[in-house]
This record gives sequence, C-alpha cells and structure tokens, in this order.
Amino acid sequence: MENNEINLNILKLFYNLKIKPSDFINIYKNNKNIEETLDYFLKNKKNSPKLFNDKNNNFFQTEKDLNLLMQYFFKNAVFILNINQKEYPEFLREIYFPPPILFCKGEKIKDTDNLKIAIVGTRNCSDYGKEVAAYLSKELSKIGFIVVSGMALGIDAEAHKAAIKESGGSIGVLGTGIDIQYPYENKNLFEEIIKNGSLVTEFLPKTQPLKNNFPARNRIISGMSIGVIVVEAGDKSGAIVTAKTAIKENREVFAVPGNIFSEKSKGCHSLIKCGAKLVEDVDDILEEFKNYIKDPVYNKSLNFNINNNNDDDNFKLDYFKKNYFFENKSKDKKNKSLNNIRNLINFSDDDYLKIYNCVGYKEKSLEEIISSSGLGIKKVLQILSFFQLKNVIKEKNFNNFIKVS
Amino acid sequence: MFFKIDSFALIGIEAIKVNVEIHISNGMPSFTIVGLPDKSINEARDRVKASIINSGFKFPMKKIIINLSPADLRKEGSFYDLPIALAILALSGQISSDFFNCSSFIGELSLDGGLDPVKGILSMTQKAAEIKKKYFFIPESNINEAALIKDISIIGCKNLKNCIEILKNKNEIDKYVYKNFEFKNDNLNKFDIDFSEIKGQYRAKRAMEIAVSGMHNILLIGPPGSGKSMLAQRAITIMPDLNFDESIEVTKIYSLIKRKKYELITKRPYRNPHHTISETGLIGGGVYPKPGEISLAHRGILFLDEFSEFSSKHSEALRQPLENKSIAITRNNLSYRFPCSFMLILAMNPCFCGYYGDESRKCKCSMREIERYWKKISGPILDRIDMQIKIPRLKEELFLKNKDIENSSTIKERVKKAFLIQSERYKGKEINYNSEAGPEYINNWINQDKDLKKILADFSKKALMTARGISSLIKISRTIADLEGANEISADHAIEAFQYKISNII
Repeated sequence: MENNEINLNILKLFYNLKIKPSDFINIYKNNKNIEETLDYFLKNKKNSPKLFNDKNNNFFQTEKDLNLLMQYFFKNAVFILNINQKEYPEFLREIYFPPPILFCKGEKIKDTDNLKIAIVGTRNCSDYGKEVAAYLSKELSKIGFIVVSGMALGIDAEAHKAAIKESGGSIGVLGTGIDIQYPYENKNLFEEIIKNGSLVTEFLPKTQPLKNNFPARNRIISGMSIGVIVVEAGDKSGAIVTAKTAIKENREVFAVPGNIFSEKSKGCHSLIKCGAKLVEDVDDILEEFKNYIKDPVYNKSLNFNINNNNDDDNFKLDYFKKNYFFENKSKDKKNKSLNNIRNLINFSDDDYLKIYNCVGYKEKSLEEIISSSGLGIKKVLQILSFFQLKNVIKEKNFNNFIKVS
Repeated sequence: MFFKIDSFALIGIEAIKVNVEIHISNGMPSFTIVGLPDKSINEARDRVKASIINSGFKFPMKKIIINLSPADLRKEGSFYDLPIALAILALSGQISSDFFNCSSFIGELSLDGGLDPVKGILSMTQKAAEIKKKYFFIPESNINEAALIKDISIIGCKNLKNCIEILKNKNEIDKYVYKNFEFKNDNLNKFDIDFSEIKGQYRAKRAMEIAVSGMHNILLIGPPGSGKSMLAQRAITIMPDLNFDESIEVTKIYSLIKRKKYELITKRPYRNPHHTISETGLIGGGVYPKPGEISLAHRGILFLDEFSEFSSKHSEALRQPLENKSIAITRNNLSYRFPCSFMLILAMNPCFCGYYGDESRKCKCSMREIERYWKKISGPILDRIDMQIKIPRLKEELFLKNKDIENSSTIKERVKKAFLIQSERYKGKEINYNSEAGPEYINNWINQDKDLKKILADFSKKALMTARGISSLIKISRTIADLEGANEISADHAIEAFQYKISNII
C-alpha cells in the first residue's frame, strides 16, 4: 500500500470506525506490519453506524469530511507520518504508546541522522533560566543535535530561538492542532520554525489547547529524544512530567541546578536528588551519549571529531580542544579577554582595568563598583558602557553588573 | 446716543480687543447685552445696576443696549462689568473724562461697587500695550500681575467710585500709575526638598541632571519604594530659575485658571496629575477651552506617576504635544493654542506586582503577564522618551552612608551652564534645548568624529536601535558634552549616553 493510502486508512480507523489508537498500537507492535494491522481492523469491523463525534473537535464527522481533511492538509503543506514510515522518529517508535500518526509541518522531522535532544522547563522562568536554555540549545545545535521542545513560553521558546539561530532548525511538539498558534505570544517563533524546523502534533487540526493534551505531548517530546534536559522547573511543572515519562522510557534525564532559594528550580533539584544528571556544561551531556556519538550512524552528523583511541577518559577533553580556544577554562579565558580588551582600544588610563577588576563573575551593584573603584559616576558609567558594548560586562537585573562568562 | 469703551476678550492665552458699545434711547426701560455673551456676562446687568446705585450714581431708566463687538465671537467671563458701568455713566452724562479714548478697562463689579480680580489679566495687558493704549484700568488685586508689562501705565482701582475719581482727575492721573514692580528671581526659589536627600542611586541622579540640562524626557522604571517619585520631585530643584520672558509665559497660562494669588510666577511649575485625570484635564479643552496639565507644566516638569495606569487614550493624546511643544484645541471654529514645552517624567513599575528584576523580593508575575503589562505602554510614546533608566531598591547599608552627596544648588550651577551654552547655540532659532534639535543639527554634530561614528554604528547593531533611538542618543551625548563644556561630542560622551538607554526592558 502507498503511504497516502495507509494514512487515510488509519485516519478512517480512528476517526470513523472509533478504533482506539492504543488497540491499534498493540496489534501493530505484535506483527510489526502496518498492512496486516489495517486488514485486521478493517475486516473485523464494518463501517460503524455511529459517526465519530468529538465534542472538542468538529473538523469532520463523516467520510466525506475525511477527504476534506486530506485536502486541508494538502493546502496547508501539512504531511502525515505514520508509525511504519522510515522518517517517523525512530526513538519515538519504541516507547510504550507511540502516536500511530503524526501531523507535521516543516521538513526537519524527516532528518533521521541527527540525534534529537529535548530542552524543557517552566514557562515562568528567570533570566538565569533563559540564559541557560539559550546557551545549552546553542551549543548542542552547534554540535549537531536537533533541539526538541514544546513551543511554550519561557524556557521552551528560548531553546527554540537559540537553536533556530544557530542551526536554522528545531522541532516543536504541540499540544494543540497543527493550525493553532498557542501561546499566541510565540507567533513569530511559529512562523520561523516552519521555515527550517518542524512542528509536530498528534492532534487533529482545530484541537484547542486542552489540559489533557499536554502530558500526551510531553510523552512525544521525551519519546523522540535521546535525553531530556530540564533547565528550570517548579515542583509541579509540566517539565517534571516530561522528565518522568523520559525516565519510564529509559531516556537520559539531565537537570540544571539553580539557586536553592528559588521556587523555580525546586523541581530540577528534586530530579537531581532522584538521580538525574547535574548539568554544568555541554560535556556533562555528551558524556552520557558516548555510545551514540561513537556510533557511525550518528557520528557523521555530529560536528566534531572524536579521538578514535577509545579512551573514555579523554573523550571530554577532546570536545573542548576542538571547540573552545582554551584548555584550562577559567585561567586562559581571563587572560584572553584581558588581552582582548587591551587590543580593543588603546585606552590611556588604567581606570578601565580598575573597573574590569572590580566587576566579577558575581553580580555587583553600581554603588559597590563606584565605592570600590573610587572613580566618579561619570567615568564609571562610561567605562561600564564601553565594556557592555564590547560584550565583556553585562547588566543584570537592576543596576547589577557581571562579567560575561 | 452712542458711546464706546475698549476692553478685551480671551482666546486661549491670547487676548483680543473688544469694543463695549452702548446705545441709550427713550422707550420702555430695559437693559440688553448682545454680542454672544455667556451667562456670566448676562448677569452683569444686575451687578452693574446694583453697583452704580450703591456707588451713589443714578441708573438711567431708559432703553439700554450694550453690544460687545466683534459680535460673532463667543465671549465669557465677568471682565465687562467695569466698562459697561462706565459706559452707562458716561452716556447718561453723569461723568466725563478725556481718558476714555486712550484707555482700556477690565474688572468685575461686586454689588457694593467694589472691583474683584479677573483672570487672564497678563494677556490682556500685553494686548493693551500692543494696541498702544496709554492707560489700563484694572482691579487693584490684579496689579502685581499686570505691572509686568512695561509699555503701558497700569492703574489699579479699589472700586467703581475710586475709578471714576481717577478718571475725573485730569492732571494728577500719573500719580495713580503703579510703578513699584521690579523683577526679582534670586531668593524666591527656595525649596523644602533637596537632591542630597536621595541616597545612592548615582546613575539615576546623574541621568536626572542630564535630562534636566537638555530638557530630555525620561522614564523611570523601578520597584515600589525605590525613590522614583522622590527623584522626580527633586528634579525641579536643579532646574535653573525662570527668566523674565519665561515667567511671563508661565504666568499668562496660570492667569487663565482660578488661583488665590494674582502675581508673577517665578517658580518652574511641577505638575503631578493623578492617573484618573480626564483627557480634557490633561490636554486642555472644554466649551471655553482651558489649559490642561500639559500647558500648566509649561517650562517646568510634568510628572506622570504610575504611567502604566494611565489609559492608552491619555498617552496617545500626549504624542502630538510632545512633538510640537504646543497644543491647538479647536472649538466653535476658533483654534485655541496653548504652549506646552515641558519636560516629561514618567515613572512606572517593571511589572504588575512591581518586583521584576528586584533581587530581594521575587516577582510573582508570569512572563505573559509582564509582556501584557508592557504591551499597554504605547510604543510611539516610549520612542519619544529620550532616556530610560532602571531604579533599583536601595540596599540597607546605603541608607546610613551620608558622605559626598551633592545638594541641589551645586547641581543647579552645572545645569545653568549647560542652559547657557544651549541658549547661545539656538539663539534666534525656534528651539531652546538639545532635546528639540532636529536632524539638521544632529548631522552636523556627528560629522567630524570618526570614532564617534563607529561607536554609534556599534550601538545600533548591538541594541537594535531605531533611527529615532540613535538620534536621541546623539542628543543626550550633546547634552553631556554641554555639561562638560565641550565643543564637540566625543566618543566618550556617546558611550556614557548609552547607559541611559534600555534597549530591551523585559
């Protein structure tokens, strides 16, 4: 059977004959053959007199409208991936209850060579969380991972944005129909992600963002990824649900530590306590995927060469040798940027250095800088501004300055 | 029988000449006022009648018609009591004087013949001088205000009888002319508040100094209790004193609204309207247009606290006056123009709960709420605000420190110098301050320096600034250079100016 025909038949089973997707998956998992599975259901069930009527979705109710649905997909460049297809995410196929069909928009999902990794977190995140999400997403994209997330506000959006900026694409998994931009604040992101990345959902078009949809979405996010990174999550955050499903499906779970007083990091901390891997930098993540990275199937899509001496201990160091300009992180970086600063401008006075030394990697308020440097407000502001412009120092919160790490 | 006396009507802050014409004829005794008078003028009939009788004269029992010309202009106010009374007395032959032709009259009569003060006296005096009148008879309580105009002899009258005595006294009229006024603005501007009361907040204070020096509009963002209102209130204490011309401009506006003291305003106005103010109250208007808060803040400060609470209607209405420095209100085919060249200070919290970005107290707002909060503020308005600064809450240890804090008068001296440089630069031009400078100036300012151009290009790349953003950055740099007394803007000035720009608030 052609893929199109299979898709149509599957849609017919679920939305016309009222077959439960879980039944379908059970049979399919036994025989591993989509055509047999379809035959099984189509033979045993005559067209049911009861038409499918989902009160949450009135897109179609009759056979005639099923064609309407296909037309709609064709018009809007939405394509369907069924579980039997090669392009269907291979990790997703193996979870307990994979979605039999996925409605997709954007080509990135078909990219089966690259490993996918999920970055999730709270919608109501802190500046710190945003920064971490963007940093990890950027670095992982650089290496060759596809970042998967849930298109929500906060951490999700930051991860998507950074990935799109770095590699041009990312995969967003929706808890709504493919045509619904939820949350609406992310509408620009929705437009961007379609261009190079992908949107994926198992829900029919026009499905509203219902509460129950999101745990189902989370299982897809964790399902298609090799690991889930929880950047910032409160105690009852949806990101924790994603992490829990990830654990059930045997995925790696990473958690980024935060401030111990922050409500927004409570969930991450409890994950770490339960055994999730603490993430300080990208190498903490890579370490867990050694086997994948060495696997020639994935290796070719990754952007860095690994040492072939099979020495596990050297692995981490190799990545950084290739990708960063320093070996001993903190020391070299400091010297480097100091030299940089000297080169940037031939500043006549040592005041620049004074201020540079005043500001550390911990936030320092303007008042403290003024009193410890002993310079006038005018001069301090000038110098800080200068460093901000050169991306050496940045302002955090209100009036607090910190070196860019 | 016909007689006429000169008086004035107000259109906005400008006065125009009005002829009070009277015709008395035989017939049924009556007393009519024509020429589009309002209620307060029509009621003048009873006041005039009573005061003429109570001053010991006779009210003629004839047919009296008063015409206020030009007849098609709607007139309001109680200015015409005195001219009407004098016209009746003159035409009925009870008084005669040589001064009616070379004088103008204005005043409200009370029933016992006393003269009460009227509003808008300064504009009228100016007009009287303009049309080359020799004497201007006004109520005595208005005299301090009117005496500011030098080209005319002001005569203050206690009551109707007093006025008539002066008029009759042919040779001694000059001794009644008020001469005692001198413009002094040295010791008047004493404030109870001072800049030294603000602890810490170095950046905000420096920003305020620059903002005042160039009359740049400024937005203060900070959590509750960080001292936004305190800063705004004290901005007025570092502004240079009003000069004479500016004083007159301000007094002319204030002269239009009721107030207790009728004299010259020497303090720069500080207006702080509540956010429940009506649009008319803020911009000006009404059937007979009155100046709104923006005009009352002319040459001074308009402080809108909790700006996020102001309705979008208010902020949109502010856009045009901010650009034009004056507001035209059109009613009944007449356009009333009020000046409104003010410095705008806006203060607001960074989010609903107020603590976004605060270290010690965590913000409870969701990202979406914060975005919604900022969406309320209109982009075009934020674009017109040259400077934006964040004001954090003070840390405890800074409360106790009390050294090296400048007081208002020290800062004021520096601001004065910057004002002087600007008035030199814009001599003979329509603008007064750097904040008003247009592209023709801005292009000149940056043409010389290559470093400066490079820095500006860097800024626009880093902070995604709009063209307006960059030009306001240059204007701030110009003011910083003026504060230093530098002729040209250097890269250092522009770099400092960057500190007062928040490219991305949330």
